[in-house]
Amino acid sequence: MSAHATAAAHAHAEDHVPTMWERLPWMAAALGFLGCLAGYVFEGPKNFAHAYLVAFMFFLSLGLGAFFLVVIHHLFDAYWSVPTRRFLEHLACLLPWMALFFLPIGLLSGDLYYWMNVDPAKDHSLAVKQVLFNKATWGVASAALFGIWWLWTHRLRGWSLRQDETGAAECTTAMRRWAASGIFVFAFSLTAAAIFWMKSLEHQFFSTMYGVYYFAGSVWMTLATAYAIALLLRRSGRVPMMGQEQFHSLAKLLFAFTVFYAYIHFSQYFLIWNAAMPEETFWYAKREQGTWAIVGWVIILGHFVLPFLVLLRIDAKLSTKVVIPIFVWVWLMHHLDLQFNIMPLVQPEGPAFLISTLGALLFIGGLLAALFLWDLRRHPAFPLKDPRMGEVVRH
Amino acid sequence: MSAHAPTDSSPAYSTTTPPELQRVPLVLGQRSLGWISDKISSIVEGDTPRWWWYAFIPSFLIATLGFAAIGYMITTGIGVWGLNNPVMWGWAIVNFVWWIGIGHAGTLISAILFLLRQKWRTSINRAAEAMTIFAVMCAGIFPAIHVGRVWYLWYPLPIPNGNDIWPQFRSPLLWDVFAVSTYFTVSLLFWYMGLIPDLATLRDRLRVQALRLTDPAAKFINKAKQALYGFFALGWTGSNRHWSHYEKMYLLLAGLSTPLVLSVHSIVSFDFAVSQVPGWHTTIFPPYFVAGAIFSGFGMVLTLMIPMRSLFKLEEIITERHIELMCKVTLATGSIVGYAYGMEFFIAWYGGSPYELYAFKNRAFGPYWWAYWIMVSCNVISPQFFWFKKVRTNMVAVFVLSIFVNIGMWFERFVIVVTSLHRDFLPASWGHYGPTWVDVVTYVGTMGFFMTLFLLFIRFLPLIAISEVKGVTPQADPHHELGGATREGARG
Repeated sequence: MSAHATAAAHAHAEDHVPTMWERLPWMAAALGFLGCLAGYVFEGPKNFAHAYLVAFMFFLSLGLGAFFLVVIHHLFDAYWSVPTRRFLEHLACLLPWMALFFLPIGLLSGDLYYWMNVDPAKDHSLAVKQVLFNKATWGVASAALFGIWWLWTHRLRGWSLRQDETGAAECTTAMRRWAASGIFVFAFSLTAAAIFWMKSLEHQFFSTMYGVYYFAGSVWMTLATAYAIALLLRRSGRVPMMGQEQFHSLAKLLFAFTVFYAYIHFSQYFLIWNAAMPEETFWYAKREQGTWAIVGWVIILGHFVLPFLVLLRIDAKLSTKVVIPIFVWVWLMHHLDLQFNIMPLVQPEGPAFLISTLGALLFIGGLLAALFLWDLRRHPAFPLKDPRMGEVVRH
Repeated sequence: MSAHAPTDSSPAYSTTTPPELQRVPLVLGQRSLGWISDKISSIVEGDTPRWWWYAFIPSFLIATLGFAAIGYMITTGIGVWGLNNPVMWGWAIVNFVWWIGIGHAGTLISAILFLLRQKWRTSINRAAEAMTIFAVMCAGIFPAIHVGRVWYLWYPLPIPNGNDIWPQFRSPLLWDVFAVSTYFTVSLLFWYMGLIPDLATLRDRLRVQALRLTDPAAKFINKAKQALYGFFALGWTGSNRHWSHYEKMYLLLAGLSTPLVLSVHSIVSFDFAVSQVPGWHTTIFPPYFVAGAIFSGFGMVLTLMIPMRSLFKLEEIITERHIELMCKVTLATGSIVGYAYGMEFFIAWYGGSPYELYAFKNRAFGPYWWAYWIMVSCNVISPQFFWFKKVRTNMVAVFVLSIFVNIGMWFERFVIVVTSLHRDFLPASWGHYGPTWVDVVTYVGTMGFFMTLFLLFIRFLPLIAISEVKGVTPQADPHHELGGATREGARG
C-alpha cells in the first residue's frame, strides 16, 4: 500500500507540469542572481558580501530550526507534530545545499572577516585564538559543518521515508538514535556556525550566550515558517490530518520562543551593560550609533512586544487573518536582527537599502524554495506509517 | 486501528502502532476510580508506619541541631563561619542557591508541564510542589542569617523609615528578596489550590467513616479532622461550577508561575553575573542557572519519589514511565548544563582575558580541582546514563544517579562561589576557604528541616493529586478502548 503511495508520489513528480506558482521560485532566483551581480558591481564587494551573509545566515536559520524540530519530535516521542514532520525533514535537508550558497562567502572571506587580514602578532585578541582563527581551520570547519548536517538530516529523512514503505518499528528506533546523537551535533554545530561565520566578524567580541541567541531567533523564525507551510498543505488537502491541534501547538511554541528570544537577548545585553567592560560593551556601543539605535528599539518592540501581545490569545493563534501578517513580520524581524549583527560593520551610521540585500534574499530563497517544492512533490507529504498517526487521528 | 484509504490529494496512510511502540498507560492495572481514592487516602487515614518514625525522629533532631547552630551563630557573630577575606561568600550562599534550585522542579512540573499538556505530571506534581515550598523555606534561611544582625532583616523591604534609608534597588540581592518571596507565595497558592478537591475528599471520607465509629474518643478525633480538612477545603462540593472556577484559576496560576520559575534563578544568577569577577561575569549565566535548577529539582524529586512509591506501594500510579520521563528531563537539563560548562571554558580562552582564563584553569587544576571534577562527573557525565532504557527502568540505578545529581549541583555552586573568590585580581590577597563545624551543622540541619516538613506532609496530606490522577486513567479518555469512566470492567 505504502510502496504504491511512494511510487505514486514519484510518478506524480515526474509527470508534473509546473504551475505559475512553482515557476515563481526559479524566477525569484534568477532575479536575485541579477540583483547580486548588480550589488557586487555597483555597491562593491564589501557591501555585497555583508548583505549576502545576512541572507545566508537567515536561511541557515530555517534549516537549523527545522533540524532542531525534527530532532526534538523524536526525543519527545510527540504525536501532535507527526503531520508536520515530513516538510520539516525537507527543510532540514536543505542544510547541505547551503554549502553551495556558502561559496561566495568563502570567496569573499577576506572582505568579510577582518581578522583574515590582520597580523596576529599585532592583535592580542586574535593571537590568543589563532589556532582556531586561521584560514585553514576556518575552511575545514566550515566544510565539516556542511558534512555533519548532510549526514544527520539525510539519515533522519532516509529512515522516515523507509518507514513509509515498511511501517516497521525499527525505523522509529533508528530515527530516535540519530536524534539522540543529533541533539548534541545540533548544539555543537549551530554554536560553531554562529561563532565562525557571524561572531568572528568582530573577533574581539565574546559572549557565552551568542550560540543560544542565534538558536532562539532561528527556531522562532522556523516555527512561523512551519505554520505557514502547514496552512498551505492543509489547503491543498495533501495532509488531511493537519488540524487545529497542530496549528495551536505551533503557535504556542512560536509564542514561547518569542519570550525565550527576548529573555536571551535581554540577558546578554543587560549583563554586558551592567558590567560595563570595554572589551564587551564596544559591540553594543557600535550598535547604538546613528539609526542603529532605532533598530535596537524596533527589535525590542517588534521582535518581542508586538508578537507577544498578538499571540497571547488562543483565537489569535488560530486565526489566519492574524497569524499570516505575524509570520511576514517574524521574517522581517529575524532578518533585521541578523542585520543588526552583521551590517554595522559596513553601515556604521545605520541601515540603508542595498540591492545586494534583496538580491541575495531572492537568489538563496528562490533556489531553496525550488528545492523544497521538488522534495515535497517527490515524497509523500506526511509520514504515512508513523506509529503515532493513530493518536493524531484520534485527537 | 487500520489503513486509511487514499483521496484525490493524499495517499493512503496507516494508523497502526507496532506493539513495541505502544504507549504504557499513566495508571496501570485498569484500576477503578474508587481504588485510586482509597489507595491515596489510605496513606493519610491509615496507621503511621514504623519506618515513618524511624525517618522522622532523626530528621527532627537534625533540624533542631541546625537551628541550635543558627542560634549559636546569631548570639556569637558571623565569625563562627568559615568566611574570610577574600572569600566573603561561603557555604551560606552555596546552600541558598542549592536549595532554591531544588525548589524549581515543583512549580515547573505544575505550571510549565501543565501548559504543555504533559499529563504524566499528575502523579508527581503534588509531592514536587510540596518539595518546592519546603526547599524555598530552607533556602530563605541562609540569606536571612547571612546578614549577621538578623533583627535588621526588614531593611531590604521598601518601608519608609525615620532615617529615610531606602534599599539599594540596583542590587540583584534586593531583586532576590522580591523574586524569591513572590515565587514562594505563588507556589504556596498553587499547591494549596490543587489540594482543595482532595481535602474535600478526605473530609467526605471521614464523614462516612464516622458512621461506623462507636468509641467517643475516636468520634471526637474524627470530628476534629473533619473540621480541619473541611475548613481548608473551603466548602468544596465538586459541583460543575466549582470545577469550572478551579480549572480557570489553575490555568491562570500556571500562566503566572511560568515566568516566575524562570525569573527566580535568572535573578539568582545575576547575583554573580552582573559583577566583573572572573568566572562570574558571563552572559550565559541566566539560562544556565535555570537549566541547572530544573536539573537539581528533578534530581531531588527522583530521590524522594523512588522510595515513596516503593514504601507506599504506589507503583501503579507512579509508574516506571513516570520515572523514565523524569530521567529524560534530568538528562536534557544536565546536557544543557554541560553545554554551559563547555561554553564558559571555551569563551574564557576565546575572549583573551588572562584573568578569566586563569579563573577557569584554577577551577579545574587549582587547589579546588576535586570540587570541579566532582561537579563535572555528577552533573554532566552521570545523567548521560539516562540515555539507556535499562538504566531508566532500574530504580536502584536511578536513585543512585539522582543522589549524584544532588551532590553535583551542590558542588557546582561551591565551585562558582569559592573558586572565583579565593584567588582574585590581587595575588597578595589570595586565600583559602574551608567550612567550620557551624557551617556544616547548619547545612545538615536544613536537610533535617526539609525532611521533617516533607514527612509531615506525606503523613497528613494526600501525596498524590487524587482528582488529577483520575483524569489521566485510560478509562477517563473517551477515545480509549476501555471508553468512559465507569467502574464496570475495571478491577476493584
